[in-house]
Amino acid sequence: MSIRDVFSKAFLKYILQRVGQCIIVIFIGINIAFIIPRLAPTNPIELKINQMLTSGASNYPEAVQLFREAMYDLYGLKGSLGEQYLSFWKRFLQGNLGPSIFAYPRPVMDLIWNSMPWTIGLLLTTSLLSWIIGNLLGGLAGYYSEKRWTKWVELAANCVRPVPYYIAAFILLIVFCFLIPIFPTTGAYAPGLKEGWSIQFALSVLYHCFLPGLSLVIVSIGAWLLGMRSLVSNIISEDYVQYAEVGGVKRRTILSKYIMRNAMLPQITGLGMSLGGIFSGALITEYVFGIPGIGMLSYRAVTNFDYSLIMGVSIFSIVGVAVSALFVDLLYPIFDPRVRLS
Amino acid sequence: MKRNVFLVACVLLAIGALAVYADIDPNKEVVPGVKRGDTIIIEDPTVTLVNPDNFNLWMAWSGGNGGYSTGLQQLAMDTLWYLDSDSGVKRAGVKDQTWHNSLAAEKPIYNKDYTQMTAKLKKGNYWSDGVEFTSADVKYTVEIQAQNPTMLFGAAFKVQVKSVETPDKYTVVFNLNKPNSRFHRNFTVRWNACWIMPAHVWQKAVKDPKDAMTYTFNPPVSIGSYVLKDYDKHGAWYLWERREDWKRTSIADFGMPAPKYAMYLMDLPNDKKVIDQTNHNLDMIHEVAPEGMVQLAKNKWETNWFQGFPFGHPDPTLIAILPNNAKAPFDNPDVRWALALSLDITKIAMASYKGAVTLSPIEFPPTGTSRQYYFDPMQSWLKDFTIDTGKYGKIKPYDTTVAQKIADQARPSFGDAVPKDPERVKAMIGQGWWKYDPKAAASLLEKNGFTQKGDKWYKPNGEQFKIKLQNWGPDRPVLQRLAMMVAELWTNFGIETTATWAQDNGTNYNLGQYDVNMGWNIESWGGHPDMSYFLDSMSSDYYTPIGTLHNGRNQIRYKSPELDKIITGMLSCDFDSQKNIDLGIEWLKLTTKDMPEIPLMSYNVFSSQDSTYWSGYPTFDKPYANTVTNWANSRYIFTQLKQMLPPTK
Repeated sequence: MSIRDVFSKAFLKYILQRVGQCIIVIFIGINIAFIIPRLAPTNPIELKINQMLTSGASNYPEAVQLFREAMYDLYGLKGSLGEQYLSFWKRFLQGNLGPSIFAYPRPVMDLIWNSMPWTIGLLLTTSLLSWIIGNLLGGLAGYYSEKRWTKWVELAANCVRPVPYYIAAFILLIVFCFLIPIFPTTGAYAPGLKEGWSIQFALSVLYHCFLPGLSLVIVSIGAWLLGMRSLVSNIISEDYVQYAEVGGVKRRTILSKYIMRNAMLPQITGLGMSLGGIFSGALITEYVFGIPGIGMLSYRAVTNFDYSLIMGVSIFSIVGVAVSALFVDLLYPIFDPRVRLS
Repeated sequence: MKRNVFLVACVLLAIGALAVYADIDPNKEVVPGVKRGDTIIIEDPTVTLVNPDNFNLWMAWSGGNGGYSTGLQQLAMDTLWYLDSDSGVKRAGVKDQTWHNSLAAEKPIYNKDYTQMTAKLKKGNYWSDGVEFTSADVKYTVEIQAQNPTMLFGAAFKVQVKSVETPDKYTVVFNLNKPNSRFHRNFTVRWNACWIMPAHVWQKAVKDPKDAMTYTFNPPVSIGSYVLKDYDKHGAWYLWERREDWKRTSIADFGMPAPKYAMYLMDLPNDKKVIDQTNHNLDMIHEVAPEGMVQLAKNKWETNWFQGFPFGHPDPTLIAILPNNAKAPFDNPDVRWALALSLDITKIAMASYKGAVTLSPIEFPPTGTSRQYYFDPMQSWLKDFTIDTGKYGKIKPYDTTVAQKIADQARPSFGDAVPKDPERVKAMIGQGWWKYDPKAAASLLEKNGFTQKGDKWYKPNGEQFKIKLQNWGPDRPVLQRLAMMVAELWTNFGIETTATWAQDNGTNYNLGQYDVNMGWNIESWGGHPDMSYFLDSMSSDYYTPIGTLHNGRNQIRYKSPELDKIITGMLSCDFDSQKNIDLGIEWLKLTTKDMPEIPLMSYNVFSSQDSTYWSGYPTFDKPYANTVTNWANSRYIFTQLKQMLPPTK
């Protein structure tokens, strides 16, 4: 396959179409993220006032009114929806998502950058691990389906696959933090450690993130395994596989070069989409294990009606999913010549 | 076979070894250099902080910042006075134990027409950086906030304070814009109050008054008995260390706080709280779900407010059903009474708190010293209180048997933990509530032109009587269960009720665009009978019609000339006067007749304490403080604790 083949006229048209679609998806997504919080039956200022009134802080009526006006002004929530919309795009195009309302005056971008590494670290590792292990085991289970161990593997996968990841998280929490308390219940690393590139810190992160990671991996492995197994079972009966077997090609070669390679195509799409989803975080896992990731941040944003932060997290999520889909689309022709040629 | 047995034995040994690993150990380190035996670990119910580096707690409710109850307001802040929500710590020679002159040397001094308040300050209190606390700090605190209405007390000071004078280092005179006999409320801690700023620190950092909203006050300079030692950069925990010079702080009036260190953990889910306390890794739980409380209470080392059923500390907060008094048909007292009489309080108590409730039939929380001031004196009046239901005749709706009924229903679940002594039952569950009397309720509706067709009620205009019952968000599971049961009872009665929820009750609550709400707008001091705390903003001067945002606690939009008279009377009499209490009783009688909201129970907080490392927590029999950990008053608990397992290494 030469470079010329890859970048044919048809393929360039294909790229442009996909990029255009991606931009449209992002634009629509951002608009929805702007509108939806504002349709909710509350807003951050009234929420703050209610919290203030029920906490016993100052509640002199004239002061409440003055406070309300000042807060609307401070958070840029004065003016019509249209004015807020225009001011949002103006800021957004300058790469500024404004200050968080919940954590004023800290910039939204700062909060996202602070949380993102934890989510990426956790979800990227677990997504890749589960994808690799699931597909390998699925391939083996599909090809060597007559072996006893593959039946056990398949049974295990069938058992864990329907379990929601948060149930797995709770089970692990109860077993390894309560019944056999060998893992910490909360946090991404031991209290008192400073974040940095030290072995002690890395080991502490591994120790603290083991259970959350495991809860995500064991559930996703099941899904990848069963998907791959089913794909392999179909491919195994294809003529070219039969022919290779009759021709005496080694079984290991048939599995890796004839079967797995073909079966990988839909799995690559799945991996792309799952990596895109990383930017939304794994809310419940992060909450259960106290991981300071993007899932927790978005939960805080929503429960506090922090418009700016909701927008920020949503934009990252929308861009993540759309760009991943674009990458998959762009990579597909490299793996599948049929797409490239048509 | 042998190999399998060997494997199983290995696994069991490993589990045993690991269980030992999790054992009680006062020498283990909480963070490097800090021993568990010297540290009290406390839950802070605040959400995980997203801006933990910010310690500017004078910013208006920016909960995502450094937070308030991370130990910051409990251990590092201080103000002029504290009012305990329970009985307060006993001090020799002190008559009123609920009141503590903290940074002030004596109670507030008002002039005759309440346009001026003078505060005399104590000498010898020092900030943690060695600078003495003086009147200049108080003056700065007021003036910088008055210039920033978005600060927590900014708008209040801007509206109320004309000027602040400091005739000497230990005297502050507040000149007020208009008479206010309760101005000291700004500096009197219940949950919080206006904390005093170290002027010398702020003046150096904040050159332009506007910068006060962005200044992070990091590291915080403390006037309390602890200083910040360390904190999590992701806002999951804060660690405080007792000051070497704690005697130069106001807490010295009570003795040395026992724990050398205090660690506050943020945002723990219910299961994790139970797990952590069971593993002795969490000494004080602020609040846990009733199921978790029951589980924890099974342990010998566990302490809770009642030392058994009904477990929870009754907060000075009244959970109530809040009808929109400005919206028909809820503007009619008969309809509101019909709604009250169609409720079976035993079912509500069982559904919400599994029976572990403290009921209130009147519009005041049944907690702290309220029994002595209001609940006991009101009993005979409540028993004689009569309402005319129309066709069904006159009834006496007060039912003094409900507490016993609830105790009997709770007994199968909690066994002997439920007291049998009727007096104890009344003290814990309440002295009475309103009868479940659907016939009287029906008669009241019919009296007002409502009709019943089949099993549904119809309004006088022919429309079906339906209610949308709005409730707090999922953060308040007990309220949600309560709302579901109320909705079920009203629906069974024939008023189709749908329970909905909105985070923190939603903007439509503030705008008056709702039918009936579930929550609270009445809170008391707990340790003091003064009602102006919640009542003054319910004056008709501040009444706002539907569609206009309210500016106080009158979200229910109740208006009454009699209430106005009560409020005016309260605000023109002394905080500690008998007249103030008498007027409080007038409010309770007025609202019993009018039933502007249906009082239910106190907000019972299921706080649980582990007495393995520390003991001496407050309880019903030794009620020296509220057990909840986020209240600033919880600082007094530290002075009453006893270290049980000091580190040996």
